[in-house]
Amino acid sequence: MIVEILTGAIRAGTSVLFASLGEVVAQRAGVINLGTEGSMLGGAFVAFAVTYQTGSPWIGLLAGGLAGLLFALIHAFLVIQRRANQLAVGLTIIFLAQGLTAFMGQDYVDKQINGLNPIAIPVLSDIPFIGPVFFNHDILTYLVFLLVPLIWWFLFYSKPGVLLRATGEREEVVFSLGKSPTLIRYLAVSFGGLMAGLGGAQLSIAFTHTWVENMTQGRGIIAVALVIFAAWLPTRAMLGAYLFGGAQALQLALQGRGLEVSPFLLFMLPYLLTLVVLFIVERRKVSSMPESLRKVFEGERGGG
Amino acid sequence: MRRFWIGLAFVLSPFVLFALFLLSQGANPLESYQAMLRSAFGDWYGIGEVAIKSTPFLLTALAVAIPARAGLINVGGEGQLMIGALLTTWVGVFYLQGVPAWVGVPVLILMGALGGAIWGIVPALLRQYARMNETITTLLLNYVAFFTVGYFVHGPLKDPESFNWPFSPKLDEALRLPTFGSTRVHIGFVLAIVAALVVWFVIFRTRVGFRLRVIGGNAIAALQAGIKVNRMQLLAMVFGGAVAGIAGMIEIAGIEGHLRPMTGFGYGYIGFLAAWMAWNHPLWTIGTAFLLGAISVAGNALEMTSGLPSSSVSILMAFILLTVLAVGRGSKAS
Repeated sequence: MIVEILTGAIRAGTSVLFASLGEVVAQRAGVINLGTEGSMLGGAFVAFAVTYQTGSPWIGLLAGGLAGLLFALIHAFLVIQRRANQLAVGLTIIFLAQGLTAFMGQDYVDKQINGLNPIAIPVLSDIPFIGPVFFNHDILTYLVFLLVPLIWWFLFYSKPGVLLRATGEREEVVFSLGKSPTLIRYLAVSFGGLMAGLGGAQLSIAFTHTWVENMTQGRGIIAVALVIFAAWLPTRAMLGAYLFGGAQALQLALQGRGLEVSPFLLFMLPYLLTLVVLFIVERRKVSSMPESLRKVFEGERGGG
Repeated sequence: MRRFWIGLAFVLSPFVLFALFLLSQGANPLESYQAMLRSAFGDWYGIGEVAIKSTPFLLTALAVAIPARAGLINVGGEGQLMIGALLTTWVGVFYLQGVPAWVGVPVLILMGALGGAIWGIVPALLRQYARMNETITTLLLNYVAFFTVGYFVHGPLKDPESFNWPFSPKLDEALRLPTFGSTRVHIGFVLAIVAALVVWFVIFRTRVGFRLRVIGGNAIAALQAGIKVNRMQLLAMVFGGAVAGIAGMIEIAGIEGHLRPMTGFGYGYIGFLAAWMAWNHPLWTIGTAFLLGAISVAGNALEMTSGLPSSSVSILMAFILLTVLAVGRGSKAS
């Protein structure tokens, strides 16, 4: 049962991890995007629909990522250019994405696709315990394993990464270096959207192989919340996402064993868990929050 | 004159965008808009339906607007409404059978308010004692509320007569809100308008409201002026939640008569749109809630005439708010 839950945790957590990593980058640049939920949902739907139409999950994956990016661009434009309230814009984008995907997705609800299947890595997947847990997944899961250290390196050891972080902390410094904070923010938010779109795509074409209306079920919101839990660190985002995945896997495992617990109480688990981990982390002083996010969070009129 | 045309272009742009969207889906935008208008405002029945639909939107909009005045973004109207509806049904079904309306209805309103207030005070406390952002906690708590209602309707509150599509037992006929004449319009609509007027009065004409607005303007200055910021914000969330909870009570006692897992689903988010379209001004929310109510009703017409699902109007709603957010408030202060 432990192997089953751990494997399930990684399988279910990958989509959230994609979105969370993207949000780490966007928030490091000083923009919080609740529309991540919308980007994920858009990515999940577009990836599924394009995979169905073309028969190629790879084209579907690309399209899903781009869909997520497009939703993020709306956010970027309104927040960066028009200085609209970040939280309100993000929520409206969720609403927009829910409407659009429910509308366009009704013909796809019970369609079948040939999505991305788990690939067992030779030799490694034969290791007892570790093998099935880590080395028998779809290719996107392996990709996200690689992205965690890559993004960490990018943020802390590359020059563009330093500029990006400076944009979130003291944009006047970036400005004085002759770089454009606006451009950097656009790129960061777009990257966040792309990642959320890929995460959504993983959900529909690799994890479940189905499209269901509003199938992300708040995963994008959880991804944003987990960034705070992660203290804006990619490695801890990984921990957070797989904790969420663990709660989901536990729920499935318990349900599969016909436990006498109402499924509705189990459905709550991931959301309650997210609240609990946030509670534990935030009780301690938050010092690592990027400076320009603090303004959004503490309700400075945020350009509203 | 030039400003007038620019203003007009902004007002029309979401509708033009939506028309383009309809066109791309093979529907005739002009015919669709015509059918939408006719269904919402073509006759008294349509207008009545709009009034019924906009009632919960107005109340959940106020649930956003009150905390917003204190600098908080409450997206929990959705969950607050659901818990209000849950508590209303629970008390109504189990404890108020055979109780006369003049006792029962006020008790139910209180129960709705209590349920919503509980779901509002939790994020307020989490903000104050654990520095958790209320936007994120209220969003997460919406899911918890949804599954809580699901648990009760499938479990302890399930009507034994309901099978695959479970619902709770019915509320006593005596506890249902009275309606006007032979229409479906119930007094909840009047209640909501009165609530908006009261909220406006408190915020703009009383000392408490003044303090609230100072906090929303600049929390640090408010602290320095000796205003108890935490307590005021807590109050704002409690009252906001209570108002949304009353919307839940009205859905049960005014419309549905029993609780379903999907009762009020989505109303909280539409209320959020209504509040932000009105820049969180309580009086303007009457207008925006009515507009969104009309669009909701018109969505059904869209389904009948062009075969598009009624949910497609939520795209139009999102377009409208995105336009409002893009235009910004200009130089107008809160």
